[in-house]
Amino acid sequence: MDQNRQGARASYVALSVFVALWILAPSAVRRFNREAFVEFQAPALHLLGKSRDLATFWEKKSRSVEEMAAAGRDLARVNAALEIQINKFEDIRRENVRLREITHYNVPAEYMSVVARVATRDSSSWWQRIVIRKGRNDGIRPGAPVVFGNTVVGRVTAVHLTTSEIDLVTSPGFRCTAYLEGDDQNHIVLVNGVASNSLGTAKARVSVIPRDYSMPAGQPARVFTTGMGGVFPSRLILGYLDGGTYATQVGNFKESLLVPSRDLYNLQEVSVLVPLHQNPGEALMQGDQFQ
Amino acid sequence: MGWAWLFLLLATYPWLLGADLASDTLASSSLIFFLSGTCLVAPCRRLKRWQAVLFAACLGFLFEARRPIPDGVLALSLVAIAIFLSSNRQLIRNTPGMLRAAAVVNVSTCLIWFLASSYSSPSPATDLTGQLFLQLLLAGIVGTIGLLPIALTQNAVLDRLSIPPAPDNP
Repeated sequence: MDQNRQGARASYVALSVFVALWILAPSAVRRFNREAFVEFQAPALHLLGKSRDLATFWEKKSRSVEEMAAAGRDLARVNAALEIQINKFEDIRRENVRLREITHYNVPAEYMSVVARVATRDSSSWWQRIVIRKGRNDGIRPGAPVVFGNTVVGRVTAVHLTTSEIDLVTSPGFRCTAYLEGDDQNHIVLVNGVASNSLGTAKARVSVIPRDYSMPAGQPARVFTTGMGGVFPSRLILGYLDGGTYATQVGNFKESLLVPSRDLYNLQEVSVLVPLHQNPGEALMQGDQFQ
Repeated sequence: MGWAWLFLLLATYPWLLGADLASDTLASSSLIFFLSGTCLVAPCRRLKRWQAVLFAACLGFLFEARRPIPDGVLALSLVAIAIFLSSNRQLIRNTPGMLRAAAVVNVSTCLIWFLASSYSSPSPATDLTGQLFLQLLLAGIVGTIGLLPIALTQNAVLDRLSIPPAPDNP
C-alpha cells in the first residue's frame, strides 16, 4: 500500500515538472504536437467524408432514368441562360478594366477558387467550425475567405496537409467590416461572432450601426462585405439583420444581430478563395494558426 | 505488453470518431458529444500506471488537436485523473463504481475544456450558465451510457493482448 502511495506521489511530482516544462517549452514544440495529432486523425476524416459521398452517389443512382433525363434537360436550359450571362459579364469586365486603367484605380485582389467538400462540423459555445477535405497540398493558406456562391461562410483558421479548419461567420473569433443594405451613405459597420448561449441558430453581432440608419421596409436588411482589408472581396452577402436594431449602452450607435443567409451546418461543399498574392494579414495568421 | 496503450488507443479511436459524428449532428445546437473522459476509466483498471498516463495524454491531445483550446489543458488534466484512478483502483473495482467514475470524470473534464476555452476566447462570456449546464448534463449522460460498450471493446482488446487484470497495487 505504501509503495502504491509512493508511486502515486512520484507520478504527481513528475506531472507537475512536466506541466512546468510544457508551459516553458517553445510554442513550436506545442504546435508540432498539435499538428501530429491532427495528421493522425486526417485519414479518418477523409474516410468519413468519402463514405458520405458514396452514400449520396448510390442514393442518386437509384433514381429512375426518366427523372435523370428531366434533370439533364433542365440543366441544359439553365446552362444556355448562363452562357448568355457570361458573355454579358465579359463585356462589363472589359469596360471595368478600361475604366480602372483610365482612373488609375487600385486593382482589387485576385483569387484562386478551390472547391472543397465538408468533412465534419464542430460547434460549442466557444467555437463554430467546419473541417474541409482540402489543405496545404491543394494550395490553401490560413486567412483565406470561404464562400458558398455569393455568401460568406467564414475564414480559414488552420491549414494542415490534407484538411483545413474554417471559423464560421458566427464563431467568436470571426471579425470583418460590412455595409448595410439601405444605407445610402455606406457607413461601415463591424460584424463579429458571439459566444453561442442558446439551442437556437448561432448568430453574429453587427455593431457601430449609425443612429440615423433605418432598415428597408418589408424585408430584412442584407449585410455585405466592404472589400476593405483585402481579405474578403466586396459585396458578398454576410447575412441578414435579425429583427430591429437597438441602442448600445453608450447610445451613440446601434447594434443588431446577424443571421447567416444560409444554414451553415448543412453545407456540403464550399469554395476557398485563395489570394494569388499573399497579403500582410495572412503573414500574421501564419504566426498564430489556431485562433 | 509495453505497446498495449497504443493498441488500446487505436481500438478506442472509432468511438471518438463516432462521438465526432454525433457532435456533427448536434452542431446547430452548439453542443459537443464529449466522450474522452469515459474512455479513460476502463483502461485505468488494467493498464500499468505509466501506460494509463500515456493513453490519457493521447486521448486529450486527440480532442485538443482540432479545437481552439489552450494546448495541453485537457491532456494534462486527463493525465492527472489517470494517475489518481490507477492509484485508487478500489474505486473502480465494480460496475457501479466504474459508472460513477465515468460520469464524474467525463463531467469534470468537460468542465475543464469549457472553462479553458472561455479563458482563451476573444468573445466575452454573457449568460452562458444554461449552455454550460446543458453541456455538462449531456457529458454526464453520454459518459454513463457510453461506458459499457466502450469498456467492453477495451477489455476485449486487453484480453486479446493477454493483459491480466492489474492488482490493486500497481
